[in-house]
Amino acid sequence: MPSLITHSPILIIAIPLAAAFLTLPIGMASRKARNALVIVSLAFVVFLVFALARDISINGIHVYTLGATSPDLTIPKGFMVPVRIILEVDSMSVLMGIIWSIVALAAAIFSLSHIANETGQNRFYTLLLLMVAGGFGIMFTGDLFNLFVFLEITSISGAALIAFRTRFADAQEGGFKYIVVSAIASLMVLFAIGLLYAQYNLLNIGALAQVIQYTTLDKIALALLVIAFTIKAGMVPLHLWLPDAYSVAPASITGMLLITSHACMYAAFRVCFTLYGGMLNTPVVGWIIIIFGLLSMFVGVTMALIQKDVMRFMSYHAISQLGYMWVGVGVGLAVLGNAGLVDSYGKAAMSGGIFHILNDAMYMPLLFFIGGALFHCTGTRDFTQMGGLAHKLKWTTILFIIGSLCISGIPPFNGFSSKILIYESVYQFHPILTIAGIIVSILILASFIKVFHSAFMGAELSEYKAVKEVPRSMIIAMVILAAGIVFITLFPSLIVNWTIHPASDALINQGGYINAVTGAIP
Amino acid sequence: MTFILESGYAFWNPIILIIVFIVTMVIVYFFRRRGQENYKKDTDQAQIFLCGEEVPEAEQRHVRAGNIYWGFFETLKEYYNQILRPHTGIINDYVLWFIAVTAIIAIILLIAGLGT
Amino acid sequence: MEHIPFNFPFLAAALLVGISLYIIIFKKNLIKLIMGVAMLASGVNLFLVALGYRAGGASPIYTNVLERPMVLPVPQALTLTSIVINVAVLALMLTIVIRIYRHTGSLDSEKSRKMKG
Repeated sequence: MPSLITHSPILIIAIPLAAAFLTLPIGMASRKARNALVIVSLAFVVFLVFALARDISINGIHVYTLGATSPDLTIPKGFMVPVRIILEVDSMSVLMGIIWSIVALAAAIFSLSHIANETGQNRFYTLLLLMVAGGFGIMFTGDLFNLFVFLEITSISGAALIAFRTRFADAQEGGFKYIVVSAIASLMVLFAIGLLYAQYNLLNIGALAQVIQYTTLDKIALALLVIAFTIKAGMVPLHLWLPDAYSVAPASITGMLLITSHACMYAAFRVCFTLYGGMLNTPVVGWIIIIFGLLSMFVGVTMALIQKDVMRFMSYHAISQLGYMWVGVGVGLAVLGNAGLVDSYGKAAMSGGIFHILNDAMYMPLLFFIGGALFHCTGTRDFTQMGGLAHKLKWTTILFIIGSLCISGIPPFNGFSSKILIYESVYQFHPILTIAGIIVSILILASFIKVFHSAFMGAELSEYKAVKEVPRSMIIAMVILAAGIVFITLFPSLIVNWTIHPASDALINQGGYINAVTGAIP
Repeated sequence: MTFILESGYAFWNPIILIIVFIVTMVIVYFFRRRGQENYKKDTDQAQIFLCGEEVPEAEQRHVRAGNIYWGFFETLKEYYNQILRPHTGIINDYVLWFIAVTAIIAIILLIAGLGT
Repeated sequence: MEHIPFNFPFLAAALLVGISLYIIIFKKNLIKLIMGVAMLASGVNLFLVALGYRAGGASPIYTNVLERPMVLPVPQALTLTSIVINVAVLALMLTIVIRIYRHTGSLDSEKSRKMKG
């Protein structure tokens, strides 16, 4: 068991990768065996991530060197800088890992019925497992170029999965836009990595953080890195591709793509907080992030109000929720240079933003899955043609009510817990941010009432008389996420103390990250 | 270990809110049980009245989503015209936005660093 | 080689990146857009190899080693990885464009779109 925990970072990346390659031959033999392989491997990964999280909370940052004689031999004899690819898992990374593993498991269970009538299902599950492996790579790596490689793996498999249902023309268009946007963003990241390597001869994030100065080329690299991850995360005004791609994908894949954009947001925070740390001009970069967040909150919800397609509606809401997270963490970044302000409201703002990442990852995939369930039942994504579905789809209606109350920030649900953390602390920084947040919450509630009334309420329509409740595996997947929501609703302080406060401490504590890689400074 | 979420300024305990909600619902239920006895369900008393007009079928009465919040959209029509202009759907315009924002942020970072 | 100024590879990389961004932003044909992305990848790869060059350097190979400084090997490894990844990306893009053409009959980025707003 101890060696399982020691090797868990690479096992968490390797098990989905191995299962991806095994899915094709096993799938050709038996369908049930392939489904069992996918679900069992993802469930084992969930167990490993929770074990790793417990180990990190006891023992601190977990470092794993690939290919060395012992996993924590980061600097071998005779070398002065870390060599080999190093996976470095701190509390923030493992929080993202927990989110990704739970949502991946729910998405795989959802896919069991959602794509049950498609051809080429073996390739679907192969791509899904590759995407899971790629996502874990983004979250666990401590090396810039490794980040680029896993970013590309996730993007390529994500784009192939969006365009998977080749009978839909708009799915092809969404997949094309996603891969072009991802290719350009990844090339910007590669250019910035080249700029940093040219100056410092280092690729490891911890080692670079020790020697980086804020020269002109570093500023250009910072702009390229932050904007590239912002493009992939989908913030206004760089969000234009996101509704096109997320609305046409199979609903389980949309849930996973959402967590991929959270992972790219995590990569942007890793660059700002850990790679550059106190060297960068924190008020300016903080305010840039806050302005992106404000624009996203507002444009996201106002564009969502006029949509007619239910998945497009949910993706604009995803953009708006990402804005909340960026405002919270941006306030933390803006006051990073000032230790007194960090203690008084900076850390609370960052905790609010990171808690909102966790909450959003629970209710937003649930809402996407409900959109997929509606598409599965009625054959259309247009909710202006739906009506009276609450008579037949009872479970889906209850889960939709829970999801929409969570996203609007209505007490006692988990959306309210994280939003109140953000509002109370961001108010100290500048009151306009809280006011904008509350107005956006009201508009979110209004838009969900509109969808709920139009699609679920009303008399039963004659064209939907043959509609039955969604298949059982879809309900199970949605209930997994709803169970997470209920757990976080009832015990927010436990979750915050166990996972969120350590995560925001880990982001602020650049020195700890560097020491874990370079060894304690004698 | 307390069950209270503290942000330093706020006090939030969801268990207390749920308990208060349940107690209030119980009190409301007891108020309802002492209600009016002359309300008969499923008779002419419960029918919809539209000033004597014909009441359409339930299916045709359903207000679709495109018509909800009409007043809101009419008031903000200018804002929506402006905000819908970048959302063209053409991939070339998307990349133009990316490059423009990258250039602006790089210039802001370079200028902000000149002062120090 | 001495009469080529030292900055020439970087100028060439900047020119490649600039022309490819012009193609991606202003050309409507989807195949030309893919060519633009391929050229962008080539520009970034050239930048990576050029930043490792040391004047008068030798190949970073330890067999029959010459008494000269070596060029940096790590950017060459990064470039090889990047070339392989970009091959996969371009193959995927071309496959999806074939599907778009079969569905909509047009290769124009404005005429083949179905989603806006």
